[in-house]
Amino acid sequence: MNYLLESLSSSLAMLLHLNTDVLNAVRVSLETSAASIILAALFGIPLGAIIGLARFRGRRLVLTLLNTLMALPTVVIGLFLFGLFSRQGPLGPLGLLFTPWAMIVGQMVLATPIIANYTLATIAGADPRILPTALTLGASPAQGIWQLLLELRFGMMAAIIAGFGRVIAEVGVAMMLGGNIRGTTRTMTTAIALETSKGEFAFGLALGMVLMSIALVINLFLNLMQQR
Amino acid sequence: MKTHLEVRDLRLRRENGFELRIDRLQLAEGQIYHLMGANGAGKSTLLHLLAQLVPADSGEILFNGQPVNGSAQIQALRRQVTLVEQSPFLFDSSVYHNIAFGLRLRNIKGAVQRQRVASALADVRLSGFEKRRARELSGGETRRVALARALALDPKILLLDEPTAGLDADTLPVFETLMTQLAGRQLTLVLSSHDAQQSQRLPVIPLFLDRGELKQPKPVSHSQYHNGASALWPKHLSTQGI
Repeated sequence: MNYLLESLSSSLAMLLHLNTDVLNAVRVSLETSAASIILAALFGIPLGAIIGLARFRGRRLVLTLLNTLMALPTVVIGLFLFGLFSRQGPLGPLGLLFTPWAMIVGQMVLATPIIANYTLATIAGADPRILPTALTLGASPAQGIWQLLLELRFGMMAAIIAGFGRVIAEVGVAMMLGGNIRGTTRTMTTAIALETSKGEFAFGLALGMVLMSIALVINLFLNLMQQR
Repeated sequence: MKTHLEVRDLRLRRENGFELRIDRLQLAEGQIYHLMGANGAGKSTLLHLLAQLVPADSGEILFNGQPVNGSAQIQALRRQVTLVEQSPFLFDSSVYHNIAFGLRLRNIKGAVQRQRVASALADVRLSGFEKRRARELSGGETRRVALARALALDPKILLLDEPTAGLDADTLPVFETLMTQLAGRQLTLVLSSHDAQQSQRLPVIPLFLDRGELKQPKPVSHSQYHNGASALWPKHLSTQGI
């Protein structure tokens, strides 16, 4: 019990004294997650809108694939992209492996199906009069879909927040593609895994508290969005 | 009299087996057409087809003499033919934003936009409602704003699906007076209703949908129709029970 209390006390001290390593891990996590979620939203929202609105042959298969991608373990995504980014891989010459860019790409792949699925579900539950209303007022199909997404803005925000919650808490992609390099690619989750294995439990606990606070804020926002 | 919209041999089959069959329909400039028919006769489906919000399985639609058979022509038609649904949807924003939506799409901005919004709101007797939130409006106000939103666009053809159904005593006269005024603006109106009495109150040309099939009496003028033109109405198409 003393061990836990001492660790808790040390971790609070680290947070209060703004420990550089803690701050760096928080910064890297927030930067890569924010960048990857912006890219994932740019791909995921139109993808979800197209699948949600269009009726085409093979749609059911695409939906199954999207659901499968949502459930894919992060280390599998990391493994696949590791193959692409490694020196022998087709994207090896770009030199992205063990850089924040590789992590951003990996987290984008992780978040895109989540955002697409949330978008799809939001559109499926939307008022069916929105799009015809926009069209009869003279909107082109693209303008109509844009208006539909604007009407569903809270659902879209919820999709983005859910995706952000997933990427900031993941460890597999960050570990395999980032390499856990201190100050560059070491995120909160990879730092917790490494430092705890080295016996630095208090350090891991400090980052765990930050991560839990972020998760709490994200879920509060998510609840707020879903109530609108 | 100029024909704005012409429909030839139009067919639309629904999954439930219902089929809309329009052999020929011509909508002339400045006329009010009263589309009647029992519930499920296909009135709303026909209005959606005329507004090009659903595609037909076969047949032809001509708008100002030109066939409507491509996305550009459909878009051009939608800019001139506006549908107001029985239960209209207002965007989750202000009344002003709702009415200005179509104007912005037509690149109408600034003072002209504000004037068009104010004028449309005055038409439906809701002057000063610009800043009100759409979701805070009553049912009757929502329908009046939806009508104002369509009027602001100055369409050639206005399609109104059951515009007076379920309206309260305050709103009903607003609609009926406005319908009569609109006829004087060279605007073609098609209003659907299962209320046959409406034909008596408004100067209209009747159209009758019977289980998906359009029965159009030979063309009559307003005065002919209201001076006994009902004799032109096929006897087997009784309006009883509509």
